[in-house]
Amino acid sequence: MNSFKIALLGLLWMTLLFSCDSAAETISPGDKNNMIIEFDQYVGNEKLVLNSKTYKNTAGEDFTISTLNFFVSNIALKKSDGTEVTFPDQYFLVRQADAASLKLTLKDVPAADYTSVRYTIGVDSLKSVSDLSQRKGVLDPASYGNDNMYWSWNSGYIFFKIEGSSPLSSDPAKVFMYHVGGYGGYTGKTPNNLRTITADFGGNTATVRKDISPTVHIITDAGQVFSAGLRISTTSMIHSPAAAKPVADGYVNMFKVDHVHNDKHDHKE
Amino acid sequence: MTIKNNPKRLGVCLTISFGIWLVSCTLAGKETGPSGLFSVPEGFPEPVYNLAVNPVTEDGFQLGKKLFFDGRLSRDGTISCGECHNQAHSFTHHGHGFSHGIDGKEGFRNAQPIVNVAWQNSFFWDGGVFNLDLFAIAPIENPVEMDEKFPNVIEKLKKSEDYPKLFKKAFGTEEVTSERFLKALSQYMLSLVSANSRYDQYLAGKARLTETEMKGLALFKEKGCNTCHSGILFTDHSFRSNGLAAEYTGDLGRFRITENESDKNKFKVPTLRNIEVTYPYMHDGRFRNLEGVLEHYADGVQEVDNLDPALKKNPKPGIALTKEQQGQIIAFLKTLTDTEFLNNKRFSKF
Repeated sequence: MNSFKIALLGLLWMTLLFSCDSAAETISPGDKNNMIIEFDQYVGNEKLVLNSKTYKNTAGEDFTISTLNFFVSNIALKKSDGTEVTFPDQYFLVRQADAASLKLTLKDVPAADYTSVRYTIGVDSLKSVSDLSQRKGVLDPASYGNDNMYWSWNSGYIFFKIEGSSPLSSDPAKVFMYHVGGYGGYTGKTPNNLRTITADFGGNTATVRKDISPTVHIITDAGQVFSAGLRISTTSMIHSPAAAKPVADGYVNMFKVDHVHNDKHDHKE
Repeated sequence: MTIKNNPKRLGVCLTISFGIWLVSCTLAGKETGPSGLFSVPEGFPEPVYNLAVNPVTEDGFQLGKKLFFDGRLSRDGTISCGECHNQAHSFTHHGHGFSHGIDGKEGFRNAQPIVNVAWQNSFFWDGGVFNLDLFAIAPIENPVEMDEKFPNVIEKLKKSEDYPKLFKKAFGTEEVTSERFLKALSQYMLSLVSANSRYDQYLAGKARLTETEMKGLALFKEKGCNTCHSGILFTDHSFRSNGLAAEYTGDLGRFRITENESDKNKFKVPTLRNIEVTYPYMHDGRFRNLEGVLEHYADGVQEVDNLDPALKKNPKPGIALTKEQQGQIIAFLKTLTDTEFLNNKRFSKF
């Protein structure tokens, strides 16, 4: 009787599996849903906690983080057949201090199997020089409160900002501030710190269906800011594009897709 | 006979008045055109600023003017744009080498004139801002100028009694946005066009220049001053090093923006319009009068990195000018003073 029960359960499981599978196979033209890209923020293998937690970088320097913000734009999803779906003119500002901002919602993603995501950290040059009417939401220079993401003296967005404290900082207040900007310049050539990240789903697929709205979890490791050789003891303040290059060269290594949830979820917006 | 008694006549009257209304609207539409109240003076090139996205209207201009002279744009309500940009001095901070801001703090550069900005493709001595609409954020946020957070300015205006109504007049609704705020300021600044100096009148055949002034004009061309201070705007909008040693401030100019070695010591070539009243001179205000400026070009040019080739044509760097020639050039430069512009009540606070 026991073995019969197991067999029955097995059969049930198989049925479920197949029925799920067959649901996943069915795509009608025009099917779409949301996809969520969620940043799970860490330093090394520890969860990122602002201010209170002390971390160590690869050079053994102790530091805390008080602010971690970055722009994400020009998102493109790659399908299993190699083609891409792009999301132009969508700009997101991820701020560790604002939990809601860690989840980016891509709307009306065509139903398909997706295997990787590509995005830019920062605001592309075209948008960086656009008319004010094209700068709404997170691109409005008046939208940042006391947590500024715009350089007024050298017109352009701060793509990435990490601030904190360290006993090794040469600053009298023992703080460090790394602000990264620079889209290449408009009236003259300036350093370009726009960086494109490609995060492969590592064999997983995000299956967008009429009734499936996947969430892609990207693990970020803020410690990677130091992976291109930056040291707090020698550099505590960065506020210009040229000086910011090592920061950008470091944070390109900080994004890895950890897992994908293909949760049933109707898109009814 | 009253209209009331004759329905046929009422119809005719209505048709005629509708016709008049239609024509007057069309005419008004033409008057405000794509660039609105802004017009290009005779002999001036097409503006760089895209007036199609922000045509100058009377209400927009008035709103911009009110903002320009409003201390609420600063942290403690004391410093307005007009504080360092004084009309009588072509909208510069006359007499101050470095411009003074909030709490009596001193900036590190001399405030530039706000004149003919519609033709300017970059702003500040280092060209750090490439669009007039983005300009005002910088002085507002500079800790030694107005030291206020830009978002806070927008909040203050939203909560004010007067501004929402004025924003409605200018832009259709009471909504105070950063775009509207900045574009209203641009409308005011775009209107600051100076094109009626004695030199302009001379070009138009309406005035004569003295013999000394004519000699100065000839020297201005002959000695190549117009290599950089070119055309009707008296600037080619480029960044150049004119051989000023960085001994005063260590200010490296354009390098601050591009971080390119070849831009060290380069500063924006300023317009010479109204130069007589924009003293002191140079990015750091080191020369208190035009005599000092001409002495520099004749005798004081230093062989700094990236010194402009135009100043390296002679064995001795600079421009060969006798004392008399310097005086003649200064006489010519003074013909670029536009008293109508400097006294135009339309631009004034009161």
